Amino acid sequence: MAEMQQPGAEHAGSGHTGGAHIHLPAPTAWPIVLAFGFTLVAAGLVTSAGVSLLGAVFMIAGCIGWFRQVLPVEQHEEVEVVEQPVVIASSRQLVDRIILSTRHRAHLPLETYPVISGIKGGIAGGIAMIVPAEIYGLIAQHSLWYPINLLGGAGVAHWSNPSTADIAAFHWQGLLVATLIHSVTCLLVGLLYGAMLPMLPRHPVILGGVLAPVLWTGILHAFMGVINPALDARIQWGWFLISQVVYGVVAGVVVARQGKIPTGQSMPFAARLGIEAPGLGWTRPDAGPPDDEENR
Amino acid sequence: MADQTLPISAPLPEAEAQRVPWLEWMHSWVVTVDHKKLGLLYIVYAIFFLLVAGAEAILIRIQLAWPDMHFVSPEVYDELFTMHGTTMVFLVGMPILFGFANYLVPLMIGARDMAFPRLNAFSFWLTAFGGLLLYFSIVGGFGLYGMGNAPDVGWWAYAPLTAKAFTPGHNTDYWALALIVSGFGTLGTAINIIATTFSLRCKGMTLMRMPLFVWLMLIVSVLTLVTITPLTAAQIMLLIDRYLGGHFFDAQAGGSPIVWMHFFWIFGHPEVYVLVLPAFAIANEVIPVFSRKAIFGYPAMVAASVGICFISLTVWAHHMFTVGMTSVGNTFFVLSTMMVGIPTGIKIFNWLATMWGGRIRFATPMLFCTAFVFQFLLAGLTGIMLSVAPWDWQLHNSYFVIAHFHYVLVGAIVFNIFAAIYYWYPKATGRMLSETLGKWHFWLFLIGFHITFDTMHFVGLLGMPRSIYTYEPDRGWNTLNLIISMGGFVQAIAVLLFAWNLIYSYVRGRAAGNDPWDAWTLEWSTPSPPPAYNFAIDPVVRSRRPLWDLKHPHDPDWKYER
Repeated sequence: MAEMQQPGAEHAGSGHTGGAHIHLPAPTAWPIVLAFGFTLVAAGLVTSAGVSLLGAVFMIAGCIGWFRQVLPVEQHEEVEVVEQPVVIASSRQLVDRIILSTRHRAHLPLETYPVISGIKGGIAGGIAMIVPAEIYGLIAQHSLWYPINLLGGAGVAHWSNPSTADIAAFHWQGLLVATLIHSVTCLLVGLLYGAMLPMLPRHPVILGGVLAPVLWTGILHAFMGVINPALDARIQWGWFLISQVVYGVVAGVVVARQGKIPTGQSMPFAARLGIEAPGLGWTRPDAGPPDDEENR
Repeated sequence: MADQTLPISAPLPEAEAQRVPWLEWMHSWVVTVDHKKLGLLYIVYAIFFLLVAGAEAILIRIQLAWPDMHFVSPEVYDELFTMHGTTMVFLVGMPILFGFANYLVPLMIGARDMAFPRLNAFSFWLTAFGGLLLYFSIVGGFGLYGMGNAPDVGWWAYAPLTAKAFTPGHNTDYWALALIVSGFGTLGTAINIIATTFSLRCKGMTLMRMPLFVWLMLIVSVLTLVTITPLTAAQIMLLIDRYLGGHFFDAQAGGSPIVWMHFFWIFGHPEVYVLVLPAFAIANEVIPVFSRKAIFGYPAMVAASVGICFISLTVWAHHMFTVGMTSVGNTFFVLSTMMVGIPTGIKIFNWLATMWGGRIRFATPMLFCTAFVFQFLLAGLTGIMLSVAPWDWQLHNSYFVIAHFHYVLVGAIVFNIFAAIYYWYPKATGRMLSETLGKWHFWLFLIGFHITFDTMHFVGLLGMPRSIYTYEPDRGWNTLNLIISMGGFVQAIAVLLFAWNLIYSYVRGRAAGNDPWDAWTLEWSTPSPPPAYNFAIDPVVRSRRPLWDLKHPHDPDWKYER
C-alpha cells in the first residue's frame, strides 16, 4: 500500500511544507461581464438598438477590465495548501498465481472441421429439407411448385399479388430463382455450421441442428409480417419449422461425421503463409504448442 | 473586483469561518476561473436543460400517443420539437461533455488548471447566455402566430422555410443568434482544451501515456473547431438573407437552399461525433476500471479515434441522399459513411476485449456502460442501413431515422453521461451516489429506452414521417405510438429518480474517500473534492495507469508498456 500525502507546496516541484501557498489565477468577473455584453449586442439585433448599445458598453468594460487583469502582470491569488492525507491503495484482493506449464495453454479450437465438411453438410441439408417442403406443397396446396414459387417468386418481375393458382403453377423463372436462393443459402449456412459446431459446448447437433433453426424461424416469424406481409400470409410456419429442423439436423450430422483437422492457430504466422525460412521451427517458451518438448 | 481579499485581524471561530454567506458563495461561482467549478457549472446547466428538453419530449409524446390528438396546437408542437432538438444538442449534449472535459482534463494530465482560465470562464458564460437567449425567445420572439413564440423551424432550420417570407417575426433570429453566441463559447472551450492538453501535461505524460479520455477530448476539440465554424458562418448568412437583402439561400434570386443543407450538415454530422466521442471517452475510463483490466488495444483506440475524426468530416451528405445528388456523389457518401463503421467497430471490439476475462463489477457506472456498448452497436447497424442510399430513399424523414439517432444520442451518449455522473460524482462532491437508487434509475431507464426507441423503428418502417403533428386512426400506428409514449414516461420517472439521487446523496450520501472505485488515473490521487490547486506536488507518471504503478510497485505497468 502506498500513501501519497498532499503536503503544502510553494509550487511545482519545490519544497512542500504545510501552510505553504500556491499561485492560482485570481477570480474575476470580467469574463462574465464581457460574455453578457456580447449576448446583449446579439439580443439587441432582435429587440432594440438600446440593448445592443448597453451590450457594447458592457463589452468595452469587460475588455478593459480583462486587460487590466492580465497586463502588465497577470493577477494571482495565493491559495493556502491544506494538508490532506490521500491513501493510494488497491482494494482488490491479491491472489497467488497458478503456474501452468506450456502444456496447459489452451488453443481453442485445437481442431476444426475442414471447409469441405460445411459444403457437404449444406448440400445434404439442402436436399433433405426439400422433402418436407414438397410434402407440404402436395398435401396442403396439391402442387409441387407452390413451395418453390413461394421461395423464388420475388425473382419473377411481373408478379404482383399473385393468386394461389398462380403460385401453384409452374414458372421457370420462379424455379430458377428458387434454385439459386436455395443453393446459395444452404451452402452458406452449411459453411457456418462447419465453423460453429466445434465451438458449441456440448450436443452440437441438438444445439446447431434443432435449437438454432427454432430460433431462426422464431425471428423470421416475428419480422416477416413487417418485411413482406404478403409472403407472411402464405407461409405455413409449422411446415416451415419442420423443413428448417430437417435441414439443421441433416447438415449437423453430416458435418459432425466428417473428420476433424488441426487448426493452424498454434503455428507461426509465417508458417501459415507457407514461408519456408530458418527459425520457423523455434517457438517462444510461452507460446508454443503443448507438446513441443515431446515432439522434439 | 474579486482580485483582493479583505484583511481579517483575528481568526474567526472554526465553525463560523467555514459558514460562507450564500451571497459570497454565489459570488465565488460567478467570478470563478477554476476549471473544476466551471466544469460543474457546465454540468449543472446541462442537467437543468436536460430536464427542460425531457419535459418537451414528454409533451411531444403525449401529443402523439393517440391519433387525432389536440393536446397542444400545431404551432406549439412545431416549437416543441424544434426546441427539444436544439436544446438537447446545443444546451445539453455539448455543455455537459465540455463540462466533464473541463473538470477532468487538467486533473487527468496532472495540471493545476486549464491553459487559459479566464477564457474558460468567458466560454462558459457565453454558452450559458446563449441558452438563455434561446429560451428568451418564448417571451420575446414573436413569430407568425403573435407574441412569444419559440423557434419552430426544426433544429436543422432548412431553407427556404427560414426565409423572412415564410417565417416572419424574430423566433428564427433568436435561434440563429443564440447559437452564434453559444458557438463562440464552444470554440473558446475547444481552443482551451487543445492548448491545455498540448502544453500542461505533467512530467512523464507523453501523448501515448495520456488517458484515453484526454485523447478523445483533444480530438473532439479539433473536430469542434472545424465544424462549428461553418454553422456559425451559415447562421450569419441566414441573418444577412433575412435582414440585409442577401440571397444565399433564396432560389428565386439565384441562391440555393441546398447550400444551407451542405453548411448545416458539414457541421451536423461531425457534431454527432463531437457528442459521441466524449461518450466513448467515458466508456474508455469506466469499462477498464470495472473490468479490472487495462484497456485493450490502447494504440488502436487512439488510431480509431483519430480515424473517426477524419472520416466523420467526409460523410455529411448522407443526410441529403433525397435531394437528388449525382450517382458519383451518392456512391462517395455511401462508401465514406460505411467506412466510419471500421474505426467504431474497432472500438466496440476493444471494449468487449477489455471486458472479456475481466473481473467485472456491475456497479451503476458499469451497468450504463455495458448497455451503451450493445445499444451503440445496434445504433451503428441501423446507421449502416441508412447509409445505403436506396434504403435511405425509402426511410428518409421517417421515424426509423428518429429511432436511429435517438439510439445514438440516448442509447450511447445519455447512457454514458449517466455512467460518468455516477463514476465522478464522488470525486466532485466527496459523496457516493446511492447505488440502490442508481440501479433503479438504470433499469427503469433501460426498459423505458427500449420500449420507446425499439418500437420507434417499427413505426418508421410502417411509414410514419417525422415531425408530424398528428395522424389518422386508420394508419396502423396507434398501438405502437401509445407504446412509444409509455416508454417515454418510464424514462421520465427514471430521470426524476436520478435527479432525486443527486440531491439526496449530496446531503446524505456515504463519504467517498479519494478513490472509491480503485481506479488508475491521476484525478483519483487527489482528495474528494479536489482542492483548488489540484495537486500540491506536481505528479510524475511513468505509464498510462499511474495509480496502478503506485498501488502495485512490484508489478508496475511501465515495465510492459512500449
